[in-house]
Amino acid sequence: MSSHTNHDEANVDKIILGDQEVLKSDLLTLNMGPQHPATHGVLRVEIKTDSEIVVDAIPHLGYLHRCFEKHAENLDYRGVIPFVDRMDYLAAMSMEWGYALTVEKMLGTEVPKRAEYIRILVAELQRIASHLVFFGTYAIDIGAFTPFLYAFQDREEILRLFEELSGARMLYNYIWIGGVWNDISDSQLARITTFCDKFEIELQKYHNLVGENKIFIGRTANVGVITKEVAFDYGATGPVLRGSGVKWDLRKDRTYGMYERFEFDIPVGTGEKGTVGDCWDRYHVRILEMFESIKIIRQVLAGIEEGPVMGKVPKIIKVPAGEIYMRTECPRGELGYHLISDGGKTPYRLKVKSSCFTHVSILPAIAPGLMIADMVAAIGSIDIVLGEVDR
Amino acid sequence: MHNQIVQFLNNSVGGCNAVINAPVGAVGDQSITVNAANILEVCKALKASSEFEFNVLQVITGTDYPDKIEISYILASFSKNLEVILKANLPRGDKFNLPKINSVEAVWSAANFQERETYDMIGVEFVGHPDFRRILCPYDWDGHPLRKDYIVQEKYLDMVVDPPAKNNTDDQLFGKRLKEELGDPKRVSASWKDSSPGSDAAEATEAKDGE
Repeated sequence: MSSHTNHDEANVDKIILGDQEVLKSDLLTLNMGPQHPATHGVLRVEIKTDSEIVVDAIPHLGYLHRCFEKHAENLDYRGVIPFVDRMDYLAAMSMEWGYALTVEKMLGTEVPKRAEYIRILVAELQRIASHLVFFGTYAIDIGAFTPFLYAFQDREEILRLFEELSGARMLYNYIWIGGVWNDISDSQLARITTFCDKFEIELQKYHNLVGENKIFIGRTANVGVITKEVAFDYGATGPVLRGSGVKWDLRKDRTYGMYERFEFDIPVGTGEKGTVGDCWDRYHVRILEMFESIKIIRQVLAGIEEGPVMGKVPKIIKVPAGEIYMRTECPRGELGYHLISDGGKTPYRLKVKSSCFTHVSILPAIAPGLMIADMVAAIGSIDIVLGEVDR
Repeated sequence: MHNQIVQFLNNSVGGCNAVINAPVGAVGDQSITVNAANILEVCKALKASSEFEFNVLQVITGTDYPDKIEISYILASFSKNLEVILKANLPRGDKFNLPKINSVEAVWSAANFQERETYDMIGVEFVGHPDFRRILCPYDWDGHPLRKDYIVQEKYLDMVVDPPAKNNTDDQLFGKRLKEELGDPKRVSASWKDSSPGSDAAEATEAKDGE
């Protein structure tokens, strides 16, 4: 089946732990997943352990593989959107936006101003919702149950709003090619304002409760360190890259939508509690990103204009022949669509560059030397969604 | 930018034969095609060059055309904020004789998973890959799904793939019926029973009243 490096053959006698050289015991192979609550879905990690220490971790993917790319070749351009939702089901709005941008760029469609505002609004709310899931589940991974309930309470408000907007709680099919499906009402905008005011205070509380907790710091600081070099080598993006101290955000660096109009900062990991690029840094970057999202949402609410929400799109979309690679900043990292069209009604090839897929590949690099329990902390901190990994 | 890259490649990697593919229409991205045999040197040169510094491999993907397989390497530079699509053409080969290309795993570790996925989906062998096997499909799966002539195997481990009994025919028929009955796509709400005159429900009520 596999031909990966066999650690039993190398270094038969001794391994080095810290600065000690100890006798090597037999390696134990442990399967983490696919049905394991800490792997956030159906990820299977084959762990080779020497007592409590992980020697090697081999991720096995594909338990949720639906071959989205093949489906996309048989669907018209509008019909792809619901499938896109099902990749990263915790951030479906961001997935849709990236796809819509890709096709719009090829078609040359002009999106109405109001639709652009709404898109940023829902994308940033989605970022908050997605990071809240991370916050809650990560606390569970570490062993604290209560933050999960707090996080889901706030997330629920966002989901309810999305449900009113689109009719669905998680798989929205809301951002369409040319605009958005449905207009947002003034009362909904007012609700978002109230939510932001309330949530900003709550979020600070959550962070004080979890992030500054001594046990939490003990479990995450200096654990699972991804250095800048490793992050670049493995092509990490999003909060994982920023957690390693690299100031890179597509919203600023290769701006799309109307992000250039808004003021916000890019939080990076600073190694406040341990080393730059450890689990705590990645956690902290996400918390700070939520504050930045609130900042953006407030500016959107102040500047939103009246007008139509759907641009002019032909009834049957035929994308001109050619190719395009478009990336956007999703909650979990950069999402890229590589669209090749032959001028027909369906994409000739639609490749998705998934950030989660890339991030899983970092696991074998950071796992050796961790304890099994820290492995859980490391997997949780890169925040993967298996729907996007396997597509 | 593409012109400079092509010039740089032709100067530094002998025989790589880099050319720009202009976009077909007015829209879309440009790409650069290089000789498939030189892909490893090209990638090394692009990463090492101080002018471009392509320090991140975004994605490796393949596209199946009737006469060739096109492998695209999408590279990005986070320090110089650049992005380029690098292409290499391979023959299609067949099941027992897959096309081969050198692995770039030594240049970027990100290529490890990307090349495995490309092999799994398109069927291209990456020579020199340290851990070469499928990634998304089961390890003993047959065929490469994203090839245009792919036909799904009938049986996998004595299990019927896509059995007719598991086909959701009810759902398909329902969708078909909706389309026929409600020509207007905006009228798709089938949750409520239609009680307007002439509909089934109205007729049923009338029949009941008649009794």
